[in-house]
Amino acid sequence: MRAIFLIALREYAENAKTKGFWIGLFLFPVIIFASIFVQKALEESTPTRHFILVDQSGLYGTSIREDIAKTYRSDVARALGEYVQDHGVNSVEQHLPDPEKLSADLLDGMMAKAESVMGPEMDAMFTPAGIEVMLTQMATASGGLVEDRPPFEMPKARFQEVSLPIEYDADLPIDELAKILRPYLKGEKTITHDGEQIQLFAAALLPRDIQESIDRPGMAGLLKMAADQESARKAEADGEAIARKGGQFWAANLADADLKSRIQRSINNELHHTELVLRGLDADAVAEVNETSLSLSSLDPKKDEGKEEVSMADKIRQWAPVGFVYLLWIGIFTISQMLLNNTVEEKSNRIIEVLLSSVTAAELMLGKLAGIAGIGITMIGVWMGSLITILKLSSGPEAEIPNVLLDVLLGSGLIYWFVLYFCLGYLLYAGIFLAIGSLCNTIKDAQNMMGPIMVIMMVPLITMMFIPKDPNGTLATILSWIPLYTPFTMMNRAAADPPMFDKIGTLVLLVCFTFFTLLMVGKVFRAGILRTGQPPKFRELLTWIKS
Amino acid sequence: MTDYTLELRNVSKTYGDFTAVDDVSFAVPKGAVYGFLGPNGAGKTTTIRMILEIIKPSSGEISIFGSSSALEVRDRIGYLPEEKGLYKKMTAWSIIAYFATLKGMDRRSAKRRAYELLERYGLKDFADSKTEALSKGMGQKVQVLASIAHDPEFVILDEPFSGLDPVNQEVMEEVIRDIAARGHTVLFSTHVMSHAERICDQIVLLAGGKKVLDDTVENARMVIPRKLRLESASDLSFLDRMDQVLRMVPIDERGDAIPEGSGPAGNLWDVHLSDKAEPIDVIEQCLKEGIHLDRFDYSPPSLHEVFVHLVGDKAKEASFR
Repeated sequence: MRAIFLIALREYAENAKTKGFWIGLFLFPVIIFASIFVQKALEESTPTRHFILVDQSGLYGTSIREDIAKTYRSDVARALGEYVQDHGVNSVEQHLPDPEKLSADLLDGMMAKAESVMGPEMDAMFTPAGIEVMLTQMATASGGLVEDRPPFEMPKARFQEVSLPIEYDADLPIDELAKILRPYLKGEKTITHDGEQIQLFAAALLPRDIQESIDRPGMAGLLKMAADQESARKAEADGEAIARKGGQFWAANLADADLKSRIQRSINNELHHTELVLRGLDADAVAEVNETSLSLSSLDPKKDEGKEEVSMADKIRQWAPVGFVYLLWIGIFTISQMLLNNTVEEKSNRIIEVLLSSVTAAELMLGKLAGIAGIGITMIGVWMGSLITILKLSSGPEAEIPNVLLDVLLGSGLIYWFVLYFCLGYLLYAGIFLAIGSLCNTIKDAQNMMGPIMVIMMVPLITMMFIPKDPNGTLATILSWIPLYTPFTMMNRAAADPPMFDKIGTLVLLVCFTFFTLLMVGKVFRAGILRTGQPPKFRELLTWIKS
Repeated sequence: MTDYTLELRNVSKTYGDFTAVDDVSFAVPKGAVYGFLGPNGAGKTTTIRMILEIIKPSSGEISIFGSSSALEVRDRIGYLPEEKGLYKKMTAWSIIAYFATLKGMDRRSAKRRAYELLERYGLKDFADSKTEALSKGMGQKVQVLASIAHDPEFVILDEPFSGLDPVNQEVMEEVIRDIAARGHTVLFSTHVMSHAERICDQIVLLAGGKKVLDDTVENARMVIPRKLRLESASDLSFLDRMDQVLRMVPIDERGDAIPEGSGPAGNLWDVHLSDKAEPIDVIEQCLKEGIHLDRFDYSPPSLHEVFVHLVGDKAKEASFR
């Protein structure tokens, strides 16, 4: 026992001193941290997109401009909310009643409410003075604002319209306008706005005859399509440029399609509205109808009666195991690799002989297993701890995802399964790696033997993303019953309530398999550890195991 | 009855068809410094591994401190393996202390002992260096110290002198003498005979897995006849007729025998003496005959000569196999 402890202690101490261990330790929290905050930072750092809107038809400009203004006002409202949250007197204790409700649905709701921020009486509220008033009103709920707070800053506008340079006539044909704007859009020229030189992001050009290119259902639509194709073919045959019809959206940046979809949505909303009015409907009624909506709630039959609603947390719970599987995989193979390297080191410089004159092979093996397990537990512990800390730090009413993640992490039983599967998976793979290490004199030998193991190891990584979609399907079930994959697959399925039979059965199988693997590894280890020269032939290996 | 620290009785080890150690028996008395000699491939390391129970003998019995299992008495044994290696990233003192704790010492005294030993054998300045920063010889010294840090009653050193410069070889001899001075037993293997000659009480000579010799250094020297080297312009043939002289061999300037019939004998002769003869008998005879001797050399045979005499052919065979 004492010898096992001493060996474990040395393994732990020596591995804890390596750079790789510390890098691994810190890399994970850094990545988590980055994935949460970089996204936020990127969002904030996206510059204001300046665009030119030329609406020759005069039909859509107003609604587009209104929508853009709406977007900005809801941004301001949100910024006010965050500001009050950050600097309110009572806001620290003030948690939203149910973080699960803070889902994408809620965001839609906020957008809908933004409609009401458009009335003429609302215009006054979004002046600097109005904002002060709003701030005071909102702050009363949080018990006022703290004294030493920075002043409220208006958020940066996401989209900003700039006017066409005055030297150009907005009534020029669209194609000519496009030609004029080309150098601006390509970034070769800048445009003046509010006395500043800015880059033009996009130009939306709506021609006088835009209504002629409306796609319609039925015969009329088909006829129009045929006519368009015909004219396109003719243009091609004559070697002329194809005459484009309808509105045009010019932008050099293809990745950020946000502005385009907003403008397109405004146009279509407006179009639907006028079409309905054309058909003799009351304009106010139409506007009202447009505000109505119905939604489908997602329900989960596996949940308790009365609480079947699928929340954000449920979705995260469904996918959280993937994260755990990944951690499991990284954790197990990082430390098994350490074990392999150490064993080969001891073997290649013959320290093993001194060790074996002091301890038995079994003691050596168990000590090494225990020491490296300690490293693994430290690593996983630090990872979990930092994950929880980061989530706690970034949680709050405004950050729904960290809240839910935290809830899933601490509230569900996943973490216990994770620890269990980590230990068993580690023992199994570490045993195999230890056997390989005991057979090889150099890292190169070991790498050759690792080849097939690597291939086997890749399977859980590949299936990791598929299994949650069909957690109790055939593939998942088969993989669960292969002991080498049990820890990963069952972890993957953990959130989907696999049948009890699978849960217990695979666990028992895994425990037995691990036990017998370690027994065999013990024999191979004892025989292999003193062996020099070439790794043994497979047949030789079998005789060791049988002996 | 003598108190033996180690006894081997008819120990053999075979690997398939190959017999590495063939029916070897010997006993190391308590407090002795025992040299374990033999050419490369003689089975020395295999025998040592069997003594330590790292590998099991195919047949025969080994008794160490009266126990049939070295593992049971492992805390009383210190072992330095033939191939030397250390954990690269550990410091010199921590590696010595680690092995000492594995042998049952508590951590605090192990650490103190490590520093003590490093200081005594001239490695004080390197106590806190990682072993990868040490030279080969220093690393080896650290390893020797690691094997004796727990003050074992029986120390087994496999090739302790290999890779050491002459100064450090002397330090190594000193280490061994220090252990012996404490009444502890040492068994060490080497193929450098001068070390064995200087520090061993007794030697075991192994060749081709078989024991060839097991005796005190004094007796071992008697295995080959003593030789006198004489130089004289006169005829020395009368010596050949003496009872004490086994034979006369003419030699050349380099000391090599001149084969018969390959030219005239010169003035140099090797005179092989019989067991009972003393060198003074030859001198007396020469004086009696009135012979003028230009040179008279006598030195007892070295272990080196004994070694070459006994196992020379086998050693050559082994090294070209």
